[in-house]
Amino acid sequence: MASLADIQNQFMHLLQNKPNDLIGNIAEQGELSQSERLSIYQSAYKIRLTQVIEQDHEQLGKYLGDELFDLMVLGYLKAYPSTNNSLREFSQNLPEFLTKTSPFKEHDILSDIAQFERLLLQAFDASDDKVLSSAALESIAQNDWPLLTLNLHASAHLVTFHTAAVESFQALKNDLAPPNAKVNTPRFWLIWRSPEKITEYKKVTEEEYNLLSLIHQKNNFSHLCQSLIGSHPPENIAVVLIQYINVWLSQGLLKSFD
Amino acid sequence: MKEFLGFGLGLRSTHFEDIIQTQPNVDWFEIISENYMVEGGKPWHYLEKIRADYPIVMHGVSMSIGSVAPLNLQYLEKLKQLAEKVEPRWISDHLCFTSVGGINSHDLLPMPYTEESLTHLSSQIAKVQDYLGREMIFENVSSYLTYKTSEMTEWEFLAQLTKNTGCKFLMDINNVYVSARNHNFDPMAYLNAIPASSIQQIHLAGHQDFGTHVIDTHDEDVPDPVWQLYRKYAKKIGPVSTMIERDGNIPPLESLLKELEIAKTQVNDIWFEQGELKHG
Repeated sequence: MASLADIQNQFMHLLQNKPNDLIGNIAEQGELSQSERLSIYQSAYKIRLTQVIEQDHEQLGKYLGDELFDLMVLGYLKAYPSTNNSLREFSQNLPEFLTKTSPFKEHDILSDIAQFERLLLQAFDASDDKVLSSAALESIAQNDWPLLTLNLHASAHLVTFHTAAVESFQALKNDLAPPNAKVNTPRFWLIWRSPEKITEYKKVTEEEYNLLSLIHQKNNFSHLCQSLIGSHPPENIAVVLIQYINVWLSQGLLKSFD
Repeated sequence: MKEFLGFGLGLRSTHFEDIIQTQPNVDWFEIISENYMVEGGKPWHYLEKIRADYPIVMHGVSMSIGSVAPLNLQYLEKLKQLAEKVEPRWISDHLCFTSVGGINSHDLLPMPYTEESLTHLSSQIAKVQDYLGREMIFENVSSYLTYKTSEMTEWEFLAQLTKNTGCKFLMDINNVYVSARNHNFDPMAYLNAIPASSIQQIHLAGHQDFGTHVIDTHDEDVPDPVWQLYRKYAKKIGPVSTMIERDGNIPPLESLLKELEIAKTQVNDIWFEQGELKHG
């Protein structure tokens, strides 16, 4: 007779469409055949995980259409069966899958939309860091500013796309046709969760993107100023930076300083 | 003496705002543990507010207590930390396996009812309770198949399990009904076989009836056969904390509150007559 381990391993193989003999371990009962009974579990597995991808990647689903979406789900389920207790993590490898798998890999925008949707989810669940106040920054002595290091809120994410991924996401969300996937210049995006717990995103300039990246890499105020040399008159650099910082403070993007 | 919390609801994110605004007449809420195993954000923001006004119990879906794979200590640690923050009245999960060999089915897969399973579960339950430093409550799952290896009925298995371990159960009346239809047994024979003293909580839910079989969906109103079974069981069991569990097709909070009122009217007269409940 099959052991507990045999049955459990066979069950997991059944769900993943791998060879198994679970049917040989199922009793005949009533009107439903053994295979019909097993197919209830197989369908539930597929439906449940498909729903997770549909929910987490709603606009990607609209972009692909039903036929390609189903093809993607089928391939993804096979390539990346769930290894995590939380369904929240299930489609975390979808951007990578889309960059590696035909016919999806021929269209960069698909993995970009998937990545953008994942970043929105990550911002939603990020830890509840305190938000830095302008009063706290004003209390810093002038001499301490050059070595000051700002810390971004845990929900803040920066991403560059070379496609109209976010513009397409926005259009699809509003039930409009997405624009042409190709763009002439890179797009710089900031994603974060506001103090009101709303997930936000905005297009930023390359300059703002670079400054936020430097902050993320723990560069101090002096380094931030240096990065602006050449873009602004030297006498304006500190003012420009303070203006940026004030905007970031008002958006809840900064959590602390060192 | 088990704690009677009254009549509760599963806490769902679509109802967060309504609950905070209207302070509905619900005695307690049950949260899905895994939904709060995140660092922060909206779920925590709302839970903090709601738990200030209502007792909370925690209900997990991925402990996989029946799996032959080693216990997932990372998961247990998260559960322990969550319990320290939420301070629930109790914690439950399901008597089943969900993951094996590093792959998660995200389904509540049935155990074979064998001596081997009993020994395994008894050992696993002891380990989990040791790790968490508290008692766990386990829910019966619905099923669509019977293993040839099973040596006893599901209810004999549960009765033996509580005898061996002292563990308590969360009895999902809908799951009993669904399995009774799918395996052609008398649901009251099942319920009568489990000691009343071991029942900590009751779930009420809906299903989809396909005639030849019934699928446990938890996405419909509680149907008449489940209400009838609940009422019959209430006479035997006395007051047990009861809740409506809705996992899909979530209706407005108002609809669930009406369903919760039906639950009260189904059993309150019985429990008052038994002298177990006092008129408020």
